[in-house]
Amino acid sequence: MKVTWKLPDGGTVTAMADYGQSLMEAALANGVPGVLGECGGCLACAACHVYVDPHWAAKCGEAGEFEAAMLGLAEERRETSRLSCQIETHPDLDGLVLEVPKG
Amino acid sequence: MTVWTPTDDGYADLSSHDTFADGAPHSTFARLRREDPLHWTEYAGGGNFWSVTRYEDITAMNKNTEVFSSARGIRMEDQTYEEYLARRTFQETDPPEHSKVRMKLLKAFSKTTMAQYEQDIRDLCADILDQALTKGEFDATKEIARQLPMRMLGRVVGLPEEDLPWLVEKGDALIANTDPDFTSHVLDKMQTDEFRMMPFNSPAGAELYVYAKELMEAKAKMGDTAGVLNLILAPAKDGSVITETEFRNFFCLLVAAGNDTTRYSIAAGIQAMCHQPELLEQMQAGGAIWETAADEIIRWATPALYFRRTATRDVEMHGKTIRKGDKVLYWFVSANRDEGYFDRPFHVNLHRSPNRHLSFGQFGPHVCLGMWLARLEVTVLFQELAKRIRHIEAAGPHKFLRSNFVGGIKELPVRVEAA
Repeated sequence: MKVTWKLPDGGTVTAMADYGQSLMEAALANGVPGVLGECGGCLACAACHVYVDPHWAAKCGEAGEFEAAMLGLAEERRETSRLSCQIETHPDLDGLVLEVPKG
Repeated sequence: MTVWTPTDDGYADLSSHDTFADGAPHSTFARLRREDPLHWTEYAGGGNFWSVTRYEDITAMNKNTEVFSSARGIRMEDQTYEEYLARRTFQETDPPEHSKVRMKLLKAFSKTTMAQYEQDIRDLCADILDQALTKGEFDATKEIARQLPMRMLGRVVGLPEEDLPWLVEKGDALIANTDPDFTSHVLDKMQTDEFRMMPFNSPAGAELYVYAKELMEAKAKMGDTAGVLNLILAPAKDGSVITETEFRNFFCLLVAAGNDTTRYSIAAGIQAMCHQPELLEQMQAGGAIWETAADEIIRWATPALYFRRTATRDVEMHGKTIRKGDKVLYWFVSANRDEGYFDRPFHVNLHRSPNRHLSFGQFGPHVCLGMWLARLEVTVLFQELAKRIRHIEAAGPHKFLRSNFVGGIKELPVRVEAA
């Protein structure tokens, strides 16, 4: 599926993500700057924070309880903030647009 | 001796602390990665264990905490359940219990919080370097690498400046509890089990216990509620509070972990500068190198050589069966030299990017809480060092710690020409 990451400097990265990957893993595989994923998706680092494009927010679903708590620690949290390790690739998300926070 | 040319014959005893006194046995790790990536390792000091040495195996296993649990200890030494309970911190727990404690601390150690210390770190580096460099020839571990983490720990945790040297001495005795230069109670040669209920099985643990209690009493009296220690004392979301024993163990963990790992990263970086003279020039050229240099230095150092897990059920892997209850060691030091993952892993390349090394135990819930502080300290220290010198070289052989748990250069004689 196709994913686009909008970067804080105005650039974008568009890449094909494999099904079965999380969007954090897809970001790492495509070298998206600013999405780190230090804990491998264990909800321990909040380093894969992204903003889901508002048009896609409903399709991505809501953050779970632990994820929401972790997002509470993230800087610059917005309404559509998610930890991208918690979003799985899925045919319904083909064309997804994510924004990478500053810093 | 250098870490570029390992001195082991490919069949070193990984369970022996003496093996690591000449640096990590990289010939042995390379052979195991190639021939026997899940190696049943004999251990005279306790139950045998599995050694996992490949990058891709460790990253896959590290997040699988249901099968590979931290809740029976994280070092190769066996603990009774009683000892485990007495000495454990959240390092020795699994999610979700682990996550509850971690959550309380994340903000205090986040990248953004740490960034606020940058000027403090720069000022401390200036002070430390100006004192050391005027000597011309000195032990860089003692005069530089040991100084910065100790003094930053004091700031982050909120400890009185005058207590820091004592605390670092005790921290060394805890974590370097197998090196006679740092403790009179060498773990694998101890004749007593008197300290088995104390952190790191060490008498220093007993002293730090008393210090932690008195410190918190003094802070409470003064109404001081700032700092990391108070975060851990605050009730969790579900109202649960940390017990006194857990708190004291956590304090010991901070003093030990917040202290020597960054020290040995700095020492390894300085030693690399002596061995690869182009590194100083690259640092002096500056620019984008500072976005990647710290991680490469920290990969190169890998101060936490391994962490241990315990299998919660039988698992098949590489044609062998890991049995329920078996100890499994993730040798991060081997993964960080895995030629199957890293290009020229035995070469320090400050521009290496991406650099998904495992020095912080990445790809698992226990990923180092202090990693942002460590990266910042390493970056700033080398920025300030590169500004101040024209040349650096070894002034004699360096010496490694006697430990198969913490890898580090404990003595690093260098000669410098100031800029």
